[in-house]
Amino acid sequence: MRKKVYIAYDCIVSALGRGTEANVRAISGGVSGVSRYDDGPLASAVPDGALMCGMIPEAVASELREELGSGWTRTELLAVAAVDGLCEPKGNGFSSAGNAGGNAFGGGNARRAFILSTTKGNVDLLEDYIMSGGRDAQESVLPEDAFLAETAKKIASRYGLENDCYVISNACISGVSALVFAKRLIEDGRYDEAIVAGVDTLSPFIVSGFASFRSLSAEMCRPYDASRCGLNLGEAAGAVLLTSEPCDAAVVLCGGAISDDANHISGPSRTGDALYFAIRDSMEDAGVGNDDISFINLHGTATAYNDEMESKAVALAGLSDKPVQSFKPYIGHTLGASGVVETILCTRELLCGSVWGTPGFEEPGTPMPLNVSKEACHAEMRFCIKTASGFGGCNAAVVLGLQPFVKECPDVETADVEIIRKVHLDNSDAVACGAGNDFGAYIRMKYKELGISNMKFYKMDDLSKLGYVASHLLVDGTGFGPEEMAVILQNRSASLDTDIRHQENISCGPGASPAVFVYTLPNVASGEISISLGIKGENTFFISGEYGREEIIRYARSVMSRTKARYCIAGWLEFLGGRFEASLELLERKFT
Amino acid sequence: MIMEELIENLKKQIIEALNLEDLAPEEIDADAPLFGDAGLGLDSIDALELILILERDYGIKVAPGEGKEVFKSVKTIADYITAHRQ
Repeated sequence: MRKKVYIAYDCIVSALGRGTEANVRAISGGVSGVSRYDDGPLASAVPDGALMCGMIPEAVASELREELGSGWTRTELLAVAAVDGLCEPKGNGFSSAGNAGGNAFGGGNARRAFILSTTKGNVDLLEDYIMSGGRDAQESVLPEDAFLAETAKKIASRYGLENDCYVISNACISGVSALVFAKRLIEDGRYDEAIVAGVDTLSPFIVSGFASFRSLSAEMCRPYDASRCGLNLGEAAGAVLLTSEPCDAAVVLCGGAISDDANHISGPSRTGDALYFAIRDSMEDAGVGNDDISFINLHGTATAYNDEMESKAVALAGLSDKPVQSFKPYIGHTLGASGVVETILCTRELLCGSVWGTPGFEEPGTPMPLNVSKEACHAEMRFCIKTASGFGGCNAAVVLGLQPFVKECPDVETADVEIIRKVHLDNSDAVACGAGNDFGAYIRMKYKELGISNMKFYKMDDLSKLGYVASHLLVDGTGFGPEEMAVILQNRSASLDTDIRHQENISCGPGASPAVFVYTLPNVASGEISISLGIKGENTFFISGEYGREEIIRYARSVMSRTKARYCIAGWLEFLGGRFEASLELLERKFT
Repeated sequence: MIMEELIENLKKQIIEALNLEDLAPEEIDADAPLFGDAGLGLDSIDALELILILERDYGIKVAPGEGKEVFKSVKTIADYITAHRQ
C-alpha cells in the first residue's frame, strides 16, 4: 500500500499574528488582519498613495528580529519563525496532531527534505542594488540573497538540511505545488519527512506591479461577491512538517495534482477546465468521490476573472453544492505562502467541524453558482480540497482527509521513461551562429528558423523567448493531447533578469509596466511554452544553484508515473544579464 | 501637435512599450484594429500599457468602460487624445 503522508506539525506567521492558534482564534472570531496603509514605502509605491493589505504587525517583526538576530532579511525572518514554530510544544486540543517526542526535530534517523515555496524571496534587495548603479556599475554586485536557492540554503542550514533543500517558485500556486512535490518525494521513498515552508513579504516591487495590473482593491476584498473589485495583498509564512511515520496526526495529505490552462499568462481560463483537471486528479489521487468532500477552500482572490473561473471549475467538477470559501479577506493574498498557510487553516477546519465564512460576500457574483457564505457553518468533516491558481495559467489542488476516513491506496508504479530528444542552446551556440553576444539577434534568428508567425513572441521577456524557441525545437511534430504533456523546469536566477528591469522602472524609470511585471515569475516562461504548444499537464518550476539534472528527470518520471502525462519537457532554462543556457529533454512514457 | 505627428508618435510609443521590435511604425495601419486576431493581436496586458501611455505621456485618464472604443486603432487613440488634451 502507498505510504500515508501526515501533516504532523504546522505554524503560521501572518498579519493575524504568530503561531497557528493565534491565527485560528482570530479567523474563527471573524477578525481580519487586512488594514489600510496610507503612509510608508508601500503606500507611496501605488498611484493612489494608499492600499489595503495584510502586513506583519511591527510588534511581531521586531520581536522576531530580537529573537533571531540581525543575520536575516525580513523574508527570511518570517520563514525561520514559521519553521522554528514547528518545534514549539503544543498545549491545546488542536495540536495533538504532533507525533511522539513533542519536537519536530527530535532526531531519529528520518531522512528529511526542506522545501521552500516563494514567489519573490528577497526581491526587496534589488532596491539597493539599483540605487547603487545596478547593471551599469562595476562595483555593484547582485546580492547573493537575491538568488532564491541561496536564501533557501541559508534557512535550511539552520536545521542541518542544506544538502536536501529544494525551491519551488511557481507563482501563486507555489505553496500547493510544494506540498504536492513533498508528498510525492515521501511516497516515492526518497525521504521519510519533509518540511515545507512558504513565505513572501510585501515590497514596493510587488505592490507597484499589482497596482499596474489594476488588480488591487481600495477596499476590503470581497471574494465571489457581485461588487468585488480586486484583491488585497498580504505577507506571511507558513510551515508544515509532513511525515510518513505512522503517528496520531489527525490530518493526512492524501491527494494532489497540478495543471496549466494554456490560455494566457495573466488572464485565467475562460472555461475553468484546467483547475477542474487539478481538482479531479487530486481527488483521484486520494481515492475519494464527490460525496466524500466536506468543503472546498478556493484561491478566491476577489478579482473578477479569478472568481469567475473558479465557479466554472467547481461546476465542471460537479461540486457546486459543497461549501466553498476564501481566506483572502482575513490575511490578504500571501502569494507563495498562501498555499501552505491556507492548507494549515483547512486542517483546523476539518478538526473543529466548522467552515469559516468569507467576509464581504453579500450577493452572488459568479457565472456559475457557488455555495459561499459570509458566516461560518458547520459541516460533517471527512475530506476537503484546497486549490490555488496563478500567473502562467497554473492551477493546483490538494485533498486533505481526517485520518479515520483516509482510503488505502495502491502503490504508484514507477513508469518506464525514455529520453527521446534533446535541445541545447547557449552563448557558445550564439557565437557559432554568428550572433556573438547579441542574444536578441540570436533568438530572433532561431525563432525565424521555426517558421512560426506569432506576434506574441516579440513581447516575451528573454527567459520566455529562450524557452519558447528551445521547447518548439524539442517538441517539433510530436503529437499529444493537452493533458498528455508536462513541463518541469529548473534554473538558478528565477526571473531575476526581468525583476531587475521592473525594479529599474520603479526606482528610476517611468514606473511599473504591466508588460514587464508579468514576466517577474519564472513559471511564466513555462506558461508561454504551454500556451504556444497547447499543454495542460503539470507545470512546475524549481530553483537551484546549479542544474540538478538527475533530480529533475527523476521528478519528471514521478509525475509521469501518476498523471496523464505521456510526455514531459524537462530541463534547465536560465537567463541572466545575457548569459543563457537552455538544456531541455523530451521524455516519453513507454507502455509495455 | 498635428494629427500625423501624433499618430507617428503613438506608433513609436506602442512599438516600444509592447516590445513589437520587429515592426516599423509605417507597417502599422492607423485605422487597423489593434486587438483581436485580425490586427496586431494585442491583449489585456497591452491594454494596460496603452492606458499608461495616455496617463504618463499625455496626462489623460481613460474613463472606465471607454477603453474598448478608445483603443480600437491608433487613429481612435489619436482622436481621443485630441479631444481630451487641455
